[in-house]
Amino acid sequence: MATEAKSEKYITTFQQLMEEGRKNGYRLDWLLPRETFGAQINSNAEAGGLLLQDIDRGPFAQIPDWSDNMTGRPRGATTRPNAARIGNYSIRTKADIWLKNASQLYEEAVQRQWSSAVDVPWETMEELPDDIERAECQLATFLTEVEFVAGDVPGKWISETTPDYYEPRMFLISQIMDEARHMDVFRKRAFANGGGLMSQTTNVALSGGAIDSARDFTEMSARLHISGEGLVLSIFRMGERMSYNDAEKAIYRLAASDESRHVAFGVMHLQYLAQTDPQRKEEIHSYLDEIELGLVAGTGGQNPAQRGTPSNAALAILLGGGSDAASIEEGGQIALAVRQRQVKEYVQRIKVAGLGDRFENGRANATLAAYVSA
Amino acid sequence: MVQQQTPPTGQRDLDGNPVPDAPDLSWMDKTLGWGIKARVEPFGGGMTIDALNVGVYAEVPDHIPFRNRLPRGAYPAPGAGSIGGYYLQDKHEQWAECAGRLYEEGISRRWSTATDVPWDTAYDLPGDVELAICQVATELSQHASVETEVVSGWLQNLSPGYHEVKLYLSTATYDAARMFEGYRKRAMLNGGGMMLESPGGMNRTIMETYAGWSQTVLGMWFVRNALDTTILRYLAVHGPSEADRVLAARLIPDRMRMAAYAVDHIRFAISKKPELVIGFQVWLGGVEFAQARDLRDPVLTEALAIIFGGSVAGMDEGMKVVRRMLQDFVKMYLSRCKQANLDRSKSLSGAFQGMLSGMAPPPRPQA
Repeated sequence: MATEAKSEKYITTFQQLMEEGRKNGYRLDWLLPRETFGAQINSNAEAGGLLLQDIDRGPFAQIPDWSDNMTGRPRGATTRPNAARIGNYSIRTKADIWLKNASQLYEEAVQRQWSSAVDVPWETMEELPDDIERAECQLATFLTEVEFVAGDVPGKWISETTPDYYEPRMFLISQIMDEARHMDVFRKRAFANGGGLMSQTTNVALSGGAIDSARDFTEMSARLHISGEGLVLSIFRMGERMSYNDAEKAIYRLAASDESRHVAFGVMHLQYLAQTDPQRKEEIHSYLDEIELGLVAGTGGQNPAQRGTPSNAALAILLGGGSDAASIEEGGQIALAVRQRQVKEYVQRIKVAGLGDRFENGRANATLAAYVSA
Repeated sequence: MVQQQTPPTGQRDLDGNPVPDAPDLSWMDKTLGWGIKARVEPFGGGMTIDALNVGVYAEVPDHIPFRNRLPRGAYPAPGAGSIGGYYLQDKHEQWAECAGRLYEEGISRRWSTATDVPWDTAYDLPGDVELAICQVATELSQHASVETEVVSGWLQNLSPGYHEVKLYLSTATYDAARMFEGYRKRAMLNGGGMMLESPGGMNRTIMETYAGWSQTVLGMWFVRNALDTTILRYLAVHGPSEADRVLAARLIPDRMRMAAYAVDHIRFAISKKPELVIGFQVWLGGVEFAQARDLRDPVLTEALAIIFGGSVAGMDEGMKVVRRMLQDFVKMYLSRCKQANLDRSKSLSGAFQGMLSGMAPPPRPQA
């Protein structure tokens, strides 16, 4: 809601002001209104306040398909010819990182920040059977470990991205904040009820090493946001079933709220890329081939429901209610349902991203179909 | 506790490995310390990250021998391997005792530029003042943007073994992002928008700090942060609208947490490695040079003079306030150095001495 720009009216005024200042020895050559000057933005307190997605106008709203910004200047700022070329950004092509709703996701993240210190009812925790507590602590140790991935890797890519694409950068910063809180809250869970940390994941590949290794942002995002966080989100959404007190329920509910934004970022970015840079679709499908192998065979890591891992066994104990054979068997059946849900949600996300043809043309991993139809 | 492994029944995974009927539960005994219970703080602080440092988990080692994501205190997997990155494995390279508390404080003081600034008070300011605010907003926004790039870029190099630092720096990145978008919003509010980019000398100095994280901290949070914080303090008083004053005042605690981490970290580093002082002193000499060179460019100080003087006509009066502000900036910087046991009072650069004496900014360039 902008009023008419009034820059024409001001030009003369500012030239007079500049002259006046110059008589007093000031330079003031910067005191020139841009073409949008005078176009007010309604801060609209009733509709969420002054939001990032509503502020840019004119040249400030023009997001270049390719950025030549090598000085780190804010998008739309006037350039200085003598500014140093410090911005050695590898991401200067819009399609490589863009999505349509990054600002909205950022503002939502700001509004939904929470505190693991006071927003989790830690006082509701009571002593649990030893095997349950150990399973909780093993799962918490695993999640603490993998949450480092989801903070550190986006951090690397923020510094690689031109500030002309500041919206996705802002979202990724909010993700770093979210992941810090997740790392923190699961560490707190491990210590909150008389347990402690347990075993590290057996090798770095199982704690998200492939995400670190990605040399392309979209490849990284597919592995992190679509695969890793998507899998974890499915687990968090099942949190009610594996929680033994209100504190755990709150942890999973709050963390799921954050993770859903992260997954949305990945889906919306893939969707934008598929629409605007279709020649890359085949390449993206090859990343998805790897991700699907991880889904069915557990080669990708970051999935606590993956068979044969301590976190999978911990899940089975938590879902079945104990570590005796019958409970583990029952928990394993529920864990299988979790894996089915993971696969179904993954399929849906890929369809929304505009890459669902792989499920029609035989490209998708055949084992997925068994999960979906189960 | 360890469940007996049953022989495989012939079921194999996609890699051909046998899948046991019953899961391996040997992990249930893999813990370095069991029976630990962290306590919720009694006066409303909740379950804090520092409260977890009890028993065997209270030890924060001087060196982390792993370059992977082993949570400190977890039972290490011998074959976990290296993940790459995380090459800052020594405590003195990153640690600050206050990091955990700063993290919790950062979270407890969360706020939103969308709703916590009375933006509707900043309409219809005089045109010259509005453009001056937009210029200052452009530079502060760019400073914060560079800060987000720098801190987020370092996260992958800092060992997860010192998770309190990583947690705090996550909030610091987020706080810097808020300053970026807060001042972008302010610049766009009346259509003035982003004006002239900052000179870039300090941006370059902060970004090109390959010597180490400590050097980055010195440039970014001893020097640049002291300047930005001082500007914010003056805007919190002399800002032309309530929105400008509130925005600046809201940002100051965020900035001060960064300074608190920085001072505590450098003091800790020097306490462990006194020989670092010489290098830090030399480095700060270079940073002071870069900052002074940026300030010789008149754009920022002229814009501030218009704001503080109330108009272009009031710039001479406004420039007096700018000189006091720069004096306060150098005092703040020297205070930080002193608190960190890095006394700069005897080796301060000439340009900084000039600002400290109230003589700066340097002579005006001829129109």
